[in-house]
Amino acid sequence: MLTALIVIPVVGAILVALLPRRRIELVLPVGVGMSLIPLAVSGFLFAAFETGEAGFQFVDQAVWYEPWGISWSLGVDGISLPLVVLTTLLVPIALAASTSISHRLKEFVAYTLALEAGLIGVFLALDLFLFFVFFEAILVPMYFIIGIWGGERRVYAAIKFFLYTAFGSALLLAAIIGLAILNSQQTGAPSFAFTDLANLDLSVGTERLLFAAFALAFAIKVPLFPFHTWLPDAHVEAPTAGSVLLAGVLLKLGTYGLLRFNLGLFPQASVDLVPVLAVLAVVGIIYGALVAIVQPDLKKLVAYSSVSHLGFIVLGTFALTSGGLAGGVVQNINHGVTTGALFLLVGMIYDRRHTKQIADFGGLAQVMPIYSGIFLFTAFASIGLPGLNGFVGEFMVLVGSFPTLPVYVIVAAGGVVLAAVYLLWAYERTFTGPLDKPENEKLVDLSAREVALLAPLVVLMVLLGLYPRILLDRVEPSTEIVLDRIEAITTFSVPEPGRAMDIFATESGGE
Amino acid sequence: MIFPDVNWIGILPELILALGAAAILLIDVQWAPRPRNLARFTFGLLLAAGGAALIQRFWLEGLPTGELSRTRPFAGMVVVDPYSVFARLVLVVVSLLGLGAAWRFIESLGRRAAEALTLFLLATAGFSLMAASPHLVMIFLGLEIGSISLYVLAGFGRRDARSEESALKYFLLGSFASAIFIYGVALLFAGTGSLDLFDQRRFLADNILVRPAVLLIGLALVVVGMAFKVTAAPFHGWAPDVYEGAPAGAVGFMAAAAKVGGFAALTRILVTAFADFADDWAVVVGGIAVLSMLVGSVLALVQDDLRRLLAYSGVAHAGFILTGLVAGLAGTPGVWFYLAVYSVQLVGAFAVVAAVSGAGSSGSPFARYEGLARRQPLLAMALTVLLLGMAGIPLTSGFVAKFGVFQEAWRAGFGWLVLVAVVASVVAFFLYLRVIVAMYMAEPVGEEVAVPSLPIRTVLTVAMAITVVFGVLPAPLLSLAADALPF
Repeated sequence: MLTALIVIPVVGAILVALLPRRRIELVLPVGVGMSLIPLAVSGFLFAAFETGEAGFQFVDQAVWYEPWGISWSLGVDGISLPLVVLTTLLVPIALAASTSISHRLKEFVAYTLALEAGLIGVFLALDLFLFFVFFEAILVPMYFIIGIWGGERRVYAAIKFFLYTAFGSALLLAAIIGLAILNSQQTGAPSFAFTDLANLDLSVGTERLLFAAFALAFAIKVPLFPFHTWLPDAHVEAPTAGSVLLAGVLLKLGTYGLLRFNLGLFPQASVDLVPVLAVLAVVGIIYGALVAIVQPDLKKLVAYSSVSHLGFIVLGTFALTSGGLAGGVVQNINHGVTTGALFLLVGMIYDRRHTKQIADFGGLAQVMPIYSGIFLFTAFASIGLPGLNGFVGEFMVLVGSFPTLPVYVIVAAGGVVLAAVYLLWAYERTFTGPLDKPENEKLVDLSAREVALLAPLVVLMVLLGLYPRILLDRVEPSTEIVLDRIEAITTFSVPEPGRAMDIFATESGGE
Repeated sequence: MIFPDVNWIGILPELILALGAAAILLIDVQWAPRPRNLARFTFGLLLAAGGAALIQRFWLEGLPTGELSRTRPFAGMVVVDPYSVFARLVLVVVSLLGLGAAWRFIESLGRRAAEALTLFLLATAGFSLMAASPHLVMIFLGLEIGSISLYVLAGFGRRDARSEESALKYFLLGSFASAIFIYGVALLFAGTGSLDLFDQRRFLADNILVRPAVLLIGLALVVVGMAFKVTAAPFHGWAPDVYEGAPAGAVGFMAAAAKVGGFAALTRILVTAFADFADDWAVVVGGIAVLSMLVGSVLALVQDDLRRLLAYSGVAHAGFILTGLVAGLAGTPGVWFYLAVYSVQLVGAFAVVAAVSGAGSSGSPFARYEGLARRQPLLAMALTVLLLGMAGIPLTSGFVAKFGVFQEAWRAGFGWLVLVAVVASVVAFFLYLRVIVAMYMAEPVGEEVAVPSLPIRTVLTVAMAITVVFGVLPAPLLSLAADALPF
């Protein structure tokens, strides 16, 4: 089942690559069609997922190379399931939004499908070797997507993206090897399985070193301040589909890794090093927001807003409370949905005007009412207006983190205010005021196709805002056992208000 | 006539290759066939040599225990063990691919084709003997048979001054390295009283050396001599110039075969006879590995010529392979897996060079590769896959290879070496990306690139298939390499 989820996009990529050159008009429909199958599968998984179960479900296992203890081992739990669904949802949307790509379309669709396979693989892998294979392999299609179909400085951005993340993952590889060797020394059997490696007996120094190597790799991916400098370049230069997947899913590899591996494998070091990560997260929240305010380029603004939003996720994760962890996972999805939508919107206006500079616009609401309406709605969701999805995640993170990290939360709350500043100010300059640029007068509003692309995301913003239980029921058991393990292994205990907190329990009228 | 009781199976592959080489010269004198037919004959000989290696393998499996003496025919000059069989198979694959890459070049040689093919076969036979011998003199002879054939091959572009320069440089520095090696062999003889690796091991196990200085100096010189052959820093200086000047069709084979032979001999010497001295040599080998990885990766960054880039990246790869060697016997399977997949990638990459710049040419500036993806997508795709394999991106065999050597080096207590290695591999990413950028992200300039010939297309398909298949499902080759241990 889970194997199929990875294999289908690969088959799709090969199929697209084999299409005859004369039938170029078939490429996009075939690509979108092949990416809808994983969506259906993941939708089925979401429905069939046993809620209230904390462990891995739908496990697929096969030996890959016995003497090294490596196996093809896939499984999904409440932390990875939403991310898999998000990935399978964003890929068809991103592909269908790529009609403006005319140059080497076949390769583009093939790379995007290969990217999808890799992303799903990262979230499903239960074997650290396998995880690393997918984690690193996705660099290649993303590198080509940015480097071939990007903007003017695409080559620079692509190489910067590749080298930054490759550096992080090189240390990750060394740490994984080190961990596996410690495991074989302690148990006598080689293994890379997550569940085996989580039970190692590590000395304090070793654990911190390994934690640091893992954390650095994921911090670059998130990206946490000060490792974020590749992100604006990559985002600005990437084509729309690339940006959507980069912000929507790729960045989540970092937050997912921190939660799954740093907390899961190194509980003691996680507890000890909370201040380091919390400080970086809060600095990222404020710094990202402040820099976003002054960006003249819409795409860059959204990119910096990601730095800020992902800071919340990291803060929630390292708050080590029920609300913080679950809120972080939910916020992963929220950010993917809203930022994905924002990048789609920026891409749509770029296709029409071939500029992303805020200064080139003004008064667009008069000529593009539907577009500006959806933009405003998405901006509200991103800011965290109650009733929309962004609110749920940020509120859970802030309330959940307060018991353990009160000072950080007070500072981070400023980020919420700043988010309103940068997004609404950008909205004001772009859509309101007089329509004073003659080039803007002939702009056409969104077509039905474009609205249809955005519709699922808008629906999700409302659905997750009003009924977050649909996610939380699946997420919370899995985040709770992460906390249980930390409490069992370390002397850390979650303060009373932070444990088993179910902030949205009453909203659904639940127990 | 008394026919001596000789175990011919022990040298069957080399016998086929050497007799075949002689036959080619005679056939050429007698019938002067077209170069293409001679090349076909050579192809058949190589296949036969590969078959002979497989026969050795089955013979070995069927051998009753207690008859191990039969695995060392010719007075112990060669040994049939899984190690030598694996080495022979790798060399045969490298030669087959190298022959495909050189096909056009050989066709263009006319009457001189027979000489080139003879040298080709002799080089393979030489390196294969080198990998299969537990006797230092025989190793030296194999080394010289192989190396001298390669010196001549490097100078085969006779009208091209750069080809001659390349051959002369290769010859002078190569002979110098051989001299260092044989001097080291002499000192090892002085230290142990034997030239046979098994006797040396026995001697060192039975005796405690009060003053091992002579032995250690000898060992150091042997390591240095081999480091020359496998282009490990700081003994790599000849490689870029030689690769740049030699005929494009032959470079891949030259580079890969010499590396396989060199590493096979070095590994056998170190892990068979001097395993107890691992504390002494592992640090030296580790130091050479660090230097090779750093020098190779950094100097490759500033090259403007694909061949020089591949030469320097070869220096870095020698470093990665040596990283596996520090683990001694435990690291040997990793070394073999790495050698097997890297040599295939190297021959494949030079096959692209031969297709782009013409089989007999010298020099391959990057400018020729700009926009290659638009002109010859197959060439660009093949080079991309092979370079990603060399870079060690997951899902290619290069990643599994790197992972294998890193794992063993760490297990042997060389964690610091692994850290240097992972950083060096990130630097190496950048240089491979430069080539990929030129091929995919730049517009085509200059003259057209000819459609690759059928042999080149075959070589590239096979090299890509090996790189990807053993990247996704490496278990068969890994278990084969895991058995490839010396007796």
